[in-house]
Formats: sequence, C-alpha cells, structure tokens
Amino acid sequence: MGRYIVRRLGQMVLVVLGATMILFVCLFVLPGDPVGSLGGDKARDPAVVQELRQRYGLDKPLAVQYFNYVKRLATGDLGEDYTQRRPVNEILAPKVKNTAKLAIAAILIDIVLGLFAGIIAALFRYSFWDVLVTLLTTIAIGFPTFVIGLLLQNVFALQLGLFPLFGTEGFSSLVLPAVTLAIIDAALVARLMRGTMLEVLRADYVKTAIAKGVPRRAVLLKHVLRNSVIPVVTYLGISFGTLLGGALITEAIFNWDGIGLALVTAIQQQNNPIVIAVVTYGVAVFVVLNLIVDVLYAVLDPRIRLA
Amino acid sequence: MRGVPRARWMAGAAVLALSLAACGGGGGGGESSGKTGGTFRLGIVEPTAIDPYNAQESEGILVAHQLFTGLVDVKADGTIVPKLAEQRSPNDNCTEWTFKIKQGTKFTNGEPVDAEAFIRGWTRAAKKSAASDVAYHLAGIQGFDQLQAGTTQTFAGLSAPDPYTLKVKLSQPDCEFDLKTYHTVFSPVPKVAGEANNKQYNDQPIGNGPFKMEGPWQHNTKITLVRNDDYGFEKAKLDRVEISILNPQNADQLEYQGFESGKFDWARMPTPQLPAAKAKYEPQGQWIGQDTNGMNYLLPITDNGPMKTKEARLAVSYAIDRQTITQGVFKGMQTPSTTIVPPAFKDFYQQGLCQSCQKQDPAKAKEYAQKANLPPGSAVTLAFNTGGGHDEWVQAVAQQLRDVLGWKVEIKPMPFKELLEAEQQPGATGLFRFAWGADYPTPDNYLFPLLHTKSINKDASGKVTGDNRSRWSNPQFDQLVDKARATKDPNERKKLYQQAEKIAIEEMALIPLWNRTQYRLANTKKFTNLELDFNENPTLAQVALK
Repeated sequence: MGRYIVRRLGQMVLVVLGATMILFVCLFVLPGDPVGSLGGDKARDPAVVQELRQRYGLDKPLAVQYFNYVKRLATGDLGEDYTQRRPVNEILAPKVKNTAKLAIAAILIDIVLGLFAGIIAALFRYSFWDVLVTLLTTIAIGFPTFVIGLLLQNVFALQLGLFPLFGTEGFSSLVLPAVTLAIIDAALVARLMRGTMLEVLRADYVKTAIAKGVPRRAVLLKHVLRNSVIPVVTYLGISFGTLLGGALITEAIFNWDGIGLALVTAIQQQNNPIVIAVVTYGVAVFVVLNLIVDVLYAVLDPRIRLA
Repeated sequence: MRGVPRARWMAGAAVLALSLAACGGGGGGGESSGKTGGTFRLGIVEPTAIDPYNAQESEGILVAHQLFTGLVDVKADGTIVPKLAEQRSPNDNCTEWTFKIKQGTKFTNGEPVDAEAFIRGWTRAAKKSAASDVAYHLAGIQGFDQLQAGTTQTFAGLSAPDPYTLKVKLSQPDCEFDLKTYHTVFSPVPKVAGEANNKQYNDQPIGNGPFKMEGPWQHNTKITLVRNDDYGFEKAKLDRVEISILNPQNADQLEYQGFESGKFDWARMPTPQLPAAKAKYEPQGQWIGQDTNGMNYLLPITDNGPMKTKEARLAVSYAIDRQTITQGVFKGMQTPSTTIVPPAFKDFYQQGLCQSCQKQDPAKAKEYAQKANLPPGSAVTLAFNTGGGHDEWVQAVAQQLRDVLGWKVEIKPMPFKELLEAEQQPGATGLFRFAWGADYPTPDNYLFPLLHTKSINKDASGKVTGDNRSRWSNPQFDQLVDKARATKDPNERKKLYQQAEKIAIEEMALIPLWNRTQYRLANTKKFTNLELDFNENPTLAQVALK
C-alpha cells in the first residue's frame, strides 16, 4: 500500500501542474486587463498600470509567467494579489481554515444524521420511521440551499435570536451555516444508506450468516453495515471535497469568510493570483480525498486490492 | 475537480451587486449636541486600502477619513470647513499656494503635525514604488511626473519655508487646488509611516484624525476605531466605531438584516427592498434619503460609429423616457437628470439645462435620427457591466430606442473590467453605461476629467487612457474650463464652468440619465447628528448619543 500511495502522490503533482497550466491559459485568454481599473468607472493611471505589470511580471510572455509561478509554487509561495498587494498565502490562510471548519461540521452532521436515518429506515422498512425518513428527505432534497439558508437565518437568528445572524466568530455562528450545508447531503446519504443496506440485507452471505446462527447484532455490524457503507463513503468523499472547495451561497448568506466567496470575488476583480491559488488548492483537495477514499475501500472490503 | 467548476458556475449565475466604488472623502462639520459615549456599528465591504496612500473606494475613504485630518474638510452640501489650514492663499494666477498650518496638533504617537508631515505624506503617495491609484490627484503639483517616473525621491513643487508653512507650486493654474486637498491622499503622515509598502502601517495607520485604530485591520472580519482624545479639533463624541466587513456578494442585504436585528446602526438596502424599508422606517425617522454627488449617463462614443454626430446623440436622448424608468425600475427612488454636474452641487446646479432630457419626445427623436442619417434598422450597440444591478434599466432603454427609432439595438452584457477595456479600445462605437462620482466639491471634477480634450489621452495604439471615454473634444469648451481653472474670483469661475457645461449639454457629450440618490437606515433612536457625508458615508466624527 505504501508504494501505491507514493505513486498516487506523484500523480497528484502532475494533476496539479496540468490544472494550473490550463487555468493560466484560460486567464490569459480572458479579455480585460488584470491590473486595469479596480472598480468604479475611473481609469487607472497608465503609469500605475505599467508599474504593476512590471512588478508582477505581467509584461513577460505567458510561458515565462507560468514557469515563474511553478517555481514559486514549489517553495509554497503563491505570490501577491493585485488589489491589496498582500501575500496570497496570508489572504487565503484564514479562509481555508474557515471553510474547513464549516466543511468538517457539515460532514459530521451528514454522517451522524444521514447514516442514522438511513439505517433506521432500512431496518424498519415500511414502518412509520421509514415513511418519515422518506418524506423528510424528499422535502430536503427538493429545497435549494439558499432557501434553506435564508429560512434558517430568518427563524433561528432574526426571529428567535438563538444564533448570530452572520459572522465567523465563535462556535454558535457555525451552527446555522453548517446545518444549511448538511441538510441536503444528509438526506442523500440517508437515501443511499437505506437503499444499499436493503440490498445487502437480501444478499446471500447475510442469509447464510443468519442461517448459521450468528447473532443478529453481529451480522448487522460485521456484514451488513460494513458492506453497505462503501458507496456512502464514496459519496461522502466527493461531498466533503465539494464542501472544502467552498460553498458560495451558504458562505454569502452567513457572511462566512471562506474560500468560495474568495474565489467569486477574485474572479470578478480578475485578481488572478487568488483565482489560481484557490483552484490549485481545490484540485489538491480532491486528489488527496480520492486517495483517502480508495484506501478506505481497501480497509472496509479486503477483496478490494490496491495495486 | 467538482467543487471548482461548481463554484465558477455560480459566480456566473449569481446576480450580485458589487458595490460601486465612489471616490472622494467624507466629513462633517461641527454641531455639538448630544452626549459622549456609545459604540456605533456598521458594515462595509473589504476596502482596497485604509492607508491614505491608496485608500480609494468609499469604504477605504470612510476609514482613512476618520484616522486622518488634512488641510480642509467638506460638509455634505459641499461647504468647505478649514481644518489644519488656518490660511490658504493662491498667488495671482493660482500657480502657487501657501498654506498656514495650525500649530500644536499631534499624531496619535505624539509626533507633531507640521508642514513636513504633509510633504512626507504627499511624496510617499506620489512615488513610483507606491503605484498608488489615487496619486493622480497630486498630478497638478510640480515634480509629480519625475516622482512617478522614479527619477527622483523628492517632490520638487513642495517646500516648507518655516515649520508651519507649506508652499505648493503647481504646473498649471488651479484656483481650486485647496478644495482638492480634501481627498485623503493629501493626508499628513508621521515618520513611522515609512514607505508606501509598509505592511504594518498599511494595516494599522497612525494618524491625526478624530479616531484611531484599536488593533490592526482584521481583514474580511472587522476594523475597530476608538476616539482620539488628543484630537487637535473638536473631539468625536462616540467611544468606538465597530466596522464589520461583509462580503461584496450580498453586503446590502446583510446590512439591512443587520439593522433590522439591531446589529447595525447604519445600513444600505438592496434596491428591490427600498420601498418596503421606506414604508417601515420613514415614519420612525430612521430613513435618510439624499441626492449625492454621483451621476448616471449613457456614454456615447463621439469619434467613431453611429454616435459620432450631435444629432444622433440628441435622438437617443429624446427617445428615452426617463420618468417611466425611474418610476418603474427604480420605484421612484432615483430622479431623472437634466445636467452633467449633479444637483448635490447646489450653488452650481443648472436645473433643466438639458432640453432633450425633460421628457420623452418621439417626434423630435425621429427627426434628429433622420438628420443623423440613422433611419429605422440602423445598428447600435449598448454595452453594460453585469453584476451591478443594471440589467433591468438597460433593457428598458434599449427597448425605448427600438420602439421610438426602430433601430436594431444590440445589448452587450460583459464583466466590468471587460467593459472598461471595451470603452478604451480605438475601435469602440455606440453606447456604454457610465457613472461618475466626485472626489472634491467642484464642478471641475466632472467637466475636466470627463470632457476636456486633455483627458482623452490616447496612447500609441489609439487606446484612450484618460477618463474622457466619449472622446468628445471641443476647443471652446476646453478654453472655458482652462480659463475657469485660472480664475480666482469664485463667482466668475462658476459662470465659466456653467457656460462650459451648457456647451457640453448642447452637444450631448454625455447623455444624462438619472441623479444618484442614496438611501440609508440610521439608528436615530440612539444617536443624533447622523448624516451622509460628501462621500456617502455616515458623519462619524459628529455623531453623538442622544
């Protein structure tokens, strides 16, 4: 497995390089001068534009710009942004932290709530609980995230005053955005868990185990849960990756200073160093998560071999 | 990669108003009713800079203006209030200004505020290495070009014959130079400021204003100001000002909700919610509505394409029904405009100057279109930037041009930077959305940058690098503006500027649309003396507890 991981990490470097290269070309093709006017209708002084082009190496050919970028990237330096002229690392560090907090909270809610509801629904098929889970998950999936967010904000912050309206300070400000993000995913996890678990419950090896007289608890824990959870792990992996990439709408509703908002703002301002940094980060997150998911497969199901 | 394309897609789909940056400064005069104390809370979006060397949008200026006090201040109505300049006098042709600086005031670190502090601040901002977006306000001072080119480190036009006298030599006559020093880029700075790229100072500037920073700027989170008890003028009444930094995607919504829940004492609102907010808060006296120093126009490209003739531009102006759009799209919250210089400049304002703006006149519109040789079926483009809340009115204007003139109007939505670039291109034609706000209370701040031939400033490729994007050029107009700039008598000067504005309107150098009216919610139950300042910010230095 060790060799496998090393090889995958090697691939990761290639993927990141490829992604940044594509992005560089895309940004280069975009019309508009990245060091052109910042906002408002006033023109930026040509002398300032020239100075900034020189300072950030924008006067050099694209290939040279890319080479310099990769060289700096290798040392962990993401350069300076074009508006505030602060190091990109310094700008993004708190945002990555904030987004991670939110993503972890949301994924925990997904796991606890989603798995629990799915298992109950599968175990007590067609019971009141099953119907309830089906009903609630259908409603949850039908709602767009922003409706859920505004609803939660209105009821629990504005009307009841239980949580802060918005902001990134303290644990209590984490609750509403995390729940907003988790609801739809938790519903999907519940559905998925219920479906695969029902399938596994019908599988021959489970029937055999029961016929052999293995206690019900042991059958459920050792065979059913373990095997049902594999597709769910895949889903959670992808979902966690998406969350770590930043959740624009939820972050905007709750003024959560995360990576999603940073990306949108940077795109609008054509603040390329931030755009490139966030996308590179997003690619890295997905590659790592995919690796973790693959390794988890092997742990959960020894028949799956990593090679 | 899933998260990334999703986020990018949302960026395109979300229609979100970027707060349009207005440049200028803020400030209020000194009524002194009310009690000392209290914390005033409001939200802004992340500024580019709060250090005066590069503070530029209203948000950055809001903070910089609380931290620094310069030679003069300006009230919301444009009245000048002398601050550190006890005397400001030009020579006969306004090429040299002498400022006598009030003695005995200090920066919050104890350094004296003297002529040297001004020279230090202005030089710091004008240097090439600063690459400041606002340094061009200093461009009229001798030696600016050399500093920008990096061939010198000292400002040739500035000198201090004695510690409290500042002499400024200009390269062109400018009888309103003293008004320009209102911009925060003209702030004095202490020795500790160092060069412009002093990161520590950039995040926690030490100034001489009514407030000082409480800890450094917490980027994207908050900025906290506390009263400067050693302030050299009438001290602020508020103990603290807590400025939350909101994301630009939905800041006005967050401000509005923040006000409703009691988190903020001052708020903007999303345009669609203005009528409801007015109905609720006006009866409680918590509603502020004010014409401000901003204007909205259609920008016609006058050197090329269909808008080349005065008749074509008049046809457009007559074809637009400003009343219907301000009532319909803007719910009566904006007023149609008939001038280039806004009504906020009360002494100067020439109401009703634009004949073709008074009301829609299809017959005249058609007549002028014919004269311009633009019969039905003629192709005209109308470009605007997306994400700024312009979609609806642009559609309405385009439809009116189609209906009245039978033109094929093509709407071109594009991102903001792309729009600016398109306007500047040598081959640009047609109409563009355009807006302008003043930095200082003088009509020159509209007429010169927007319409003077010198402000076209084409580079070698023919790209327009100045702010005169319509490329309109009229020697008579230029002459009037130049003469006004060199005229010492304020009344004479005003008349010259008014004549210049009249010429520009007759030629429809810019097509006026509506005046910029701003609305705010203000917690008048707890605070008094709350107003919008010249730069659309709350007058924090005069706010007091009731």
